[in-house]
Amino acid sequence: MSFLSTVFLKRGDSGEKVVAELCDAIEPVDIIDWATHWLPARDQCLNILQAANAPPEAYPQSAHWNWMDKTRSMQGLLALQGLSIRCEGRTQGLMRIDLASEQCQLESQRSQPMVYVDYIEIAPWNWIGPYFNPPRFRWAGQILLRAAVEISLDQAFKGRIGLHSLPQASSFYRRCGLTDCGPDPNYPRNLPYFEATPEQAMAFLNQGGSK
Amino acid sequence: MKFNIPASWYEAVDKFDEGVTVGAGGLAGHASPELAAQHAHVGRDDGRIAFYQFVTLARRGRGMSVEELASEADIDLGELLAMEQHDSHFIPDTRSVYQLANVFSVSRPKLMALAGLTRPKDDDVIGEAMKFAARSVSVQTLSDAERAILEGYVSLLNEKAKLGGD
Repeated sequence: MSFLSTVFLKRGDSGEKVVAELCDAIEPVDIIDWATHWLPARDQCLNILQAANAPPEAYPQSAHWNWMDKTRSMQGLLALQGLSIRCEGRTQGLMRIDLASEQCQLESQRSQPMVYVDYIEIAPWNWIGPYFNPPRFRWAGQILLRAAVEISLDQAFKGRIGLHSLPQASSFYRRCGLTDCGPDPNYPRNLPYFEATPEQAMAFLNQGGSK
Repeated sequence: MKFNIPASWYEAVDKFDEGVTVGAGGLAGHASPELAAQHAHVGRDDGRIAFYQFVTLARRGRGMSVEELASEADIDLGELLAMEQHDSHFIPDTRSVYQLANVFSVSRPKLMALAGLTRPKDDDVIGEAMKFAARSVSVQTLSDAERAILEGYVSLLNEKAKLGGD
């Protein structure tokens, strides 16, 4: 059984706060939404970039992800959990986390358990780029990352989280206060690895003086 | 798990995603026009979800149990159950899809394409069918809304079939 929580997204054009729901699961409705709405929007982005002869670095680095496969591979595995954010009848962001397979790499907390963010992606119309300018909604990334931290606390991992960032997204995780551990030689294509200590996790949660 | 995010938090983290991309996970290769073209097919084989959705809706629309449909279509009950579980990994038997098309009076070639057994002549069929699937919900009785979705499926499958000369 999945739980829904009320959250807010920010409209990219007007700045208006809009009610959204955070689901602690990826459900069939999200996958169908991905197939019927995310993929055409992604194709639209790619077509625009191709028509403009955009350089390789301008291409979205998550364009090849298949959330149907990612969700399928979670079935029957208790360690893997999905989360989704929905707003105005559309899935706006998806995340898959792993509660068991990865351990911390930072020296101060080496080998401690953590929540590892396997994948996090926001809907193509929320991407930054020349395709949907401004993005339709913002804040989905922060909310999903916060959810990962809260689940880490719930699992008694003290808020510790880790992830391999897409190179295009590294500045987002720096802004969120995670430690940039640099390129990971043990990860395919040496993606930059980020990790949060309990102190960094609490600082992220307590932004705005909350909690 | 429920989440309760304080109102002040949103404003405090407002700038974090301003002008930057959000994403973490595997990077398959250097993004490029070639890669974009290579990945353009991702998700295109997923019309099978719509096929299973159609089978469920069409069966319920006729007030039939799974056993009754298996009997009328003369297909294996286990196979029909696998379809109704909407497992897109499961590949239905060609004969079963043929039989179901007959029972539901829809285009056999189009239903074959939707089930992923043949390459569709018209990709729009898959896309449109997926939209119908997206609008459906899983409930025990077929509501007016679901009946409209089912009628949309049938119309799509038959209309496209006529246009395609099936």
